[in-house]
Amino acid sequence: MKSRSKIFLGDSLIIFISLIFIIFAFKTFWHFETGSVVQVNFQGKTYGNFSLFQNKEMSLIGKEGESVIEIKEGRVRFAKSPCKNQYCLQQGWIHFIGQMLICIPNEVSIEVLGKTKAYDSLNY
Amino acid sequence: MTRSIIKIKTTLLDHQIAQLSAIAIGLSLIKSVLPSPMPGVKPGIANIITLYAVYRFNFRTAIWVSILRVFATSLILGQFLSPTFMLSLTGSLLSLLTLYFSIKLPSRFFSPMSLSVLSSFAHITGQLLLVRLWLIPHASIYYLIPIYSAAALIFGLINGWITYRLLKHHNSI
Repeated sequence: MKSRSKIFLGDSLIIFISLIFIIFAFKTFWHFETGSVVQVNFQGKTYGNFSLFQNKEMSLIGKEGESVIEIKEGRVRFAKSPCKNQYCLQQGWIHFIGQMLICIPNEVSIEVLGKTKAYDSLNY
Repeated sequence: MTRSIIKIKTTLLDHQIAQLSAIAIGLSLIKSVLPSPMPGVKPGIANIITLYAVYRFNFRTAIWVSILRVFATSLILGQFLSPTFMLSLTGSLLSLLTLYFSIKLPSRFFSPMSLSVLSSFAHITGQLLLVRLWLIPHASIYYLIPIYSAAALIFGLINGWITYRLLKHHNSI
């Protein structure tokens, strides 16, 4: 019994270090920041950057029809889209840096930006 | 027609390696059918056998068991030389390298649980490095580090505990 308690001394140390590492990893890599600006891309070009701290509705007429982007209370969403799937609408509101909504049929995408650029899988 | 008989001389250690590898392959196959919440998060139960081999026999045996397991399992599952196989191989090699050093830790204080946790961290480190360098060369996979390391700790502890009980049962510790 004595040797058994000694054996787990080193184990406890390893577990403790691992836990610290895991907590550190969560804090470092799962750090989501609220963005302040939304970048609207339309037909392959940047349509403009708009502050999220305003109430605004934008209407973009693309190939498929009218896309409506709504900014409200620091968040942004697609309010209306002419596309068939309506994926962009179903994703709802976004407000974290790096979050993105894309409507491929109408060639509209919006991305939340902040002071720092977060990782995204689209630039790759 | 003459019958030709090829006989390979085998040592006792060869037989032991073969037996351990067979168990490890079996465990690997069981693992491959387990459902997983996301790719890569699975208990590496075959590592129990590698650890067992390190303690019961020697490091050389453990290398054999581990590498044979990786090759045989991938051949059975039809994943030989596929990304899955490469990930498995990288993880196992790094895991073995870690075992090589960590087996030198004083066994008075460090049980197989420590070695198991360390080697499962090494395994996931190897896999993430390969994914980062080859499969998904983009920084976004860093999001997965916390999940993978938490899984490594939990599964590492469970595997280590099982190995510890096994070795205790066979009076090898």
